[in-house]
Amino acid sequence: MNLDFETIRPSLPYIMEGIPTTLKVVAVAAVIGFILGILLSILKISRIKPLNWIADFYTSIFRGTPLVLQLMLIYFGSPQILGIQIEAFQAAFLAFGLNSAAYISEIIRGGILAVDKGQREAALALGVPYSSMMLNIILPQAIKNILPSLVNELISLTKESAVVTIIGLGDIMRRSYIVGGETYKFFEPILFAGLIYYVMVMVLTILGKVIERRMRRSD
Amino acid sequence: MIKIDKLKKNYGKLEVLKGISTEIGQGEVLAIIGPSGSGKSTFLRCINMLETPTDGQIWFKDQIITEKKTNIMKVRENVGMVFQHFHLFPHKTVLENLTYAPMKVKKLSKAEAVNQARELLKKVGLADKESSYPNRLSGGQKQRVAIARALAMNPEVMLFDEPTSALDPEMVKEVLDVMKSLAHTGMTMLIVTHEMGFAKEVADRVLFLDEGLLVEESAPEEFFSNPKSQRAKDFLEKVL
Ligand SMILES: Nc1ncnc2c1ncn2[C@@H]1O[C@H](COP(=O)(O)OP(=O)(O)OP(=O)(O)O)[C@@H](O)[C@H]1O
Ligand SMILES: [Mg+2]
Repeated sequence: MNLDFETIRPSLPYIMEGIPTTLKVVAVAAVIGFILGILLSILKISRIKPLNWIADFYTSIFRGTPLVLQLMLIYFGSPQILGIQIEAFQAAFLAFGLNSAAYISEIIRGGILAVDKGQREAALALGVPYSSMMLNIILPQAIKNILPSLVNELISLTKESAVVTIIGLGDIMRRSYIVGGETYKFFEPILFAGLIYYVMVMVLTILGKVIERRMRRSD
Repeated sequence: MIKIDKLKKNYGKLEVLKGISTEIGQGEVLAIIGPSGSGKSTFLRCINMLETPTDGQIWFKDQIITEKKTNIMKVRENVGMVFQHFHLFPHKTVLENLTYAPMKVKKLSKAEAVNQARELLKKVGLADKESSYPNRLSGGQKQRVAIARALAMNPEVMLFDEPTSALDPEMVKEVLDVMKSLAHTGMTMLIVTHEMGFAKEVADRVLFLDEGLLVEESAPEEFFSNPKSQRAKDFLEKVL
């Protein structure tokens, strides 16, 4: 195997300039996914059946279709849905945020159900209203338990963000592909992109381990 | 203070409480005893509506709390509960466990809540533990914190569901002592317990439940020395 990084070396900074784009998509989508995920998980554990149905239906839609399809529907469909063409960034935030909300809501639902039901009773017996009980008593314990799963979700979000290439966002993936097109060498730039993704995922993994260890210390 | 009228509770087809009526006066200390599965916990949990009764009525002072329109959260502020397994909030320190509900529910200022919490911790002998997390405490200490947490809401009634059953034997006394001194302050207390010695010593009245019925209700001296029903006799024979 002969690798030739010399030819593409001038283009490496260009590829690396895609990192902020990737991070931006991941960060905004993670925030949307987390907040919406909490709301959905609360609908899922509600005693009101129609609320369960709505949340379960939402999840089944986003889990039951390819992410790249969701992204394209939102981006190319926006003129018909919203009457305006949204920007590629907005489409990416939406598609990834809505999609990961479906997964995160399942994770959080599991986490909430795993909290000892005595916690709920203790809070209720003190006269604490439902919303405060959820926010101050149940969710903090649930999230602590599911932290590893949340980090996993963030990792897959980071990797899957590469599909924004398809709607023309200049992320790491797209830039490496462009460099390939210009230099007629695809292997090296894409290998380089792979290295960047790998490093980002490793950083997240280590970060997750550190947070987990710190949390366990308070046990 | 509390009046219970023909209280019934079913879980599906299973009749757990089959019509229980009694009245509890201000400052009274009740020991609720009976075999496992007789419905003691269910009875207690109906009084603060952690379980919704199937039928019957419960008055708390002049309110019928079993009615839909009653704001049960308001009632619960006045009814403290202590559980067999403590249920302290594990992510909060001892002090935060005691200040959380008073600040959130009664809107006490932080300073007021902290002062009051420290007072209570002193009373249960745990003043030095305020910044510990619950998992650093022994079972007996946890239960004393749980009692203090309930008292921090300044309740008029305290419900105890087997508060010492999950404790190692050497820790039972420290919890019973706290409860004893609470009884001496005139607190109205309903205590589900297997500690017959404690019931005999502290209770004003014993309720004996069996198979969802209030089989016997009498003063402890009377109940322990001269039980009227055969079921109570059998039960006492087994546990004493
Ligand atoms: N949530 C529930 N769903 C179905 N059955 C229940 C539920 N809670 C209690 N039961 C049943 O109701 C009956 C009475 O239970 P309860 O816990 O009140 O008894 P207990 O007198 O407190 O017993 P123990 O001394 O073992 O605590 C038992 O047969 C129990 O299995
Ligand atoms: Mg019980």
